[in-house]
Amino acid sequence: MTTINIGPIHPSTHGVLRLVAEIDGDTVVRVEPHIGFLHRGVEKLVETRMYMQSPPYMEKLDYVAPMAYDEVYVAAVEKALGVDVKERAMYVRVVLLELQRIASHLLWLGTMANDLGQLFTVFMWAFRDRDMVLRLLEEAAGARMFYVNMRLGGLIRDLPEGFQEKADEVLDYLDKRVKEYEDYLEKNPIFMQRMRGVGILSREDALNLGVTGPVLRGSGVKYDVRKNSPYYVYDKLYFEPQVRNEGDCFARYKVRMLELRSSIRLARMAMEKMPAGDAVGMQIRLILPEAKNRIVTVNRELPRGECFMYLVADPQKPYRLSIRDPSFINLAAFGELAKGARTADLFAILGSLDMVMGGVDR
Amino acid sequence: MSIGDLLSIITFVSDSLGLSGTLANIVNTVVYAVLIAILIVVFDYLFGWLERKTIAKIQARHGPTYVGTYGILQNLADFVKLLAKEHVVPKNADKYLFLGTIPMMLSISIFLILLLPFAPTLIESNIGLGMLVVFVLLSFMPLVIFVNGFASGNKFAGISAQRSVIMLASYEIPLLLVLAAVGALAGSYNIASIISAQNNYWFAVMMPIGFVIFFIAMLAEVERPPFDMREADNELIAGWLTDVSAPYYTLALFLDYSRMFLGSLLIVILFLGGWNGPLLPPIVWLLLKCFIVAFFIIVIRATTVRMRIDKLLRFGWIWLMPLALLNLIITYLIFIR
Repeated sequence: MTTINIGPIHPSTHGVLRLVAEIDGDTVVRVEPHIGFLHRGVEKLVETRMYMQSPPYMEKLDYVAPMAYDEVYVAAVEKALGVDVKERAMYVRVVLLELQRIASHLLWLGTMANDLGQLFTVFMWAFRDRDMVLRLLEEAAGARMFYVNMRLGGLIRDLPEGFQEKADEVLDYLDKRVKEYEDYLEKNPIFMQRMRGVGILSREDALNLGVTGPVLRGSGVKYDVRKNSPYYVYDKLYFEPQVRNEGDCFARYKVRMLELRSSIRLARMAMEKMPAGDAVGMQIRLILPEAKNRIVTVNRELPRGECFMYLVADPQKPYRLSIRDPSFINLAAFGELAKGARTADLFAILGSLDMVMGGVDR
Repeated sequence: MSIGDLLSIITFVSDSLGLSGTLANIVNTVVYAVLIAILIVVFDYLFGWLERKTIAKIQARHGPTYVGTYGILQNLADFVKLLAKEHVVPKNADKYLFLGTIPMMLSISIFLILLLPFAPTLIESNIGLGMLVVFVLLSFMPLVIFVNGFASGNKFAGISAQRSVIMLASYEIPLLLVLAAVGALAGSYNIASIISAQNNYWFAVMMPIGFVIFFIAMLAEVERPPFDMREADNELIAGWLTDVSAPYYTLALFLDYSRMFLGSLLIVILFLGGWNGPLLPPIVWLLLKCFIVAFFIIVIRATTVRMRIDKLLRFGWIWLMPLALLNLIITYLIFIR
């Protein structure tokens, strides 16, 4: 029995995660994640800021899909202030969020293959494709990484001229690329060997541990916030939550690959159905209309799972904000998943959970 | 430059000193060793460059472009950088074993290349059982890695050392079984006779199963993906090289490419007809084939996923070993009986 310390500086812990693993031969007996290296106290920080000063902090929670996090917070504030989102802005938000989901899943795909010992090849390809999506988002929001483009009731600006044509081109290209990735990886017997039957999370365990997002859907639970409690225009767009029943790393991989496709379809559909009109929201001002609702909750489907925000509102700033971060809850399942796995599979499982330490440590 | 010129370079020193007999032989051997060492350095360097550029192309990158034309001097720059770094020996390490084993491995692999012939007349040691000597020494390498891994006192290196022994158990027997088939087919373990036995048909054509097994086992032997579990950079950080600091790491990199050179040389000599080929001189053919084999090894590195150690053991005993036996039997039935 050996105790090995993995991280916080290790090639495959995706940031500053520290794992203490007890290993018997090649089998993992127990593994304990130690977190908190990236703790910044965001929830407390928000209490000292006016409402619209906080979105930049929110974006840093999930630096892989910042816009999605930004949107959750802004939606919570909108709910507290009783601001309605404009019709066109809803569609624009859906398009941008789905594009953000595609970017996030592509990054995951690269790092996942990397965790399995792939020499950065899929990583580079996925990053190249992700960059095309980022360029689209840059055009829409004005920044490549931290967008801060959500405003109360809409966005900082409408989609630029010719966005739809460009986006269609990129989405068509990505559709082909996703198929290529699947062919490339799934026809590799070693890849399948490393993914199938590794890190099995049963349906009961998944429900008991509270995991959400692709991890939950990989265990055969058909739960997607976009479908179960639709927000914006998701109820007007046709899509089905992607579910696999195996609960192993391959199921989680497959769910995300299928989600890439469904996100591409959703973005296309939302662009087609998008009505004309105005999508520009309120300008950022320190003094906003006073909050009408004292306690609001918002839940959203982020690329990593369900994010739940609980906001107690003072008239001009949050009194208390509490965040249920999907990566944090998903990471809690890691100890259960890694029990009995091989040492090498530790990183395959960690990669398949797809957590971002910014959200875990908050 | 023809082979005759090379031979005259080898004997130049002893001739000009007017030596003869045993002393001349010793001097000739030393000169030959120096020549081969230069060849190894040049080839290691070119392999390093080829690897960087090939992988970069596969990954839709440019690779090194800044230092020298097509980045040819990048590896030299890295080499100098590594030599300038601090040398640290971990407190837990067994200093002499830890530092001694890497040069030892390097010298084993250079010695093995020295035993191999590069052209019909460019043969340093014409031993009757040359190939056996090569493989006995080759199977010694994982054990040296095992010693190094445990001597470093690092837990990741320790896991890597354990993996090294498991790997040895999984591919060494199929490798030797294929070697037995090669020896039976050539009627000799003399390396030159193995090559001359391939004058008409390459052994890769005569026993394709054996070639595939040998290629796979050789990938494992020279620690190339998908069998690089010992180094496993995203599981074990750098495996047995985790605590090896800069100057010795340079040696380790050098060792890596030397082993790749050795591996591709063995594949070429045993299966791809060695120096046989039209028009070009033998040594050029040999090195050209080497480069092609190395290119394939690099492409495999860039495209595959790492295997798991227990699956490798399973793969070795369930697939490679029976297939190697089958190969031996088929070879015997068709060509020898």
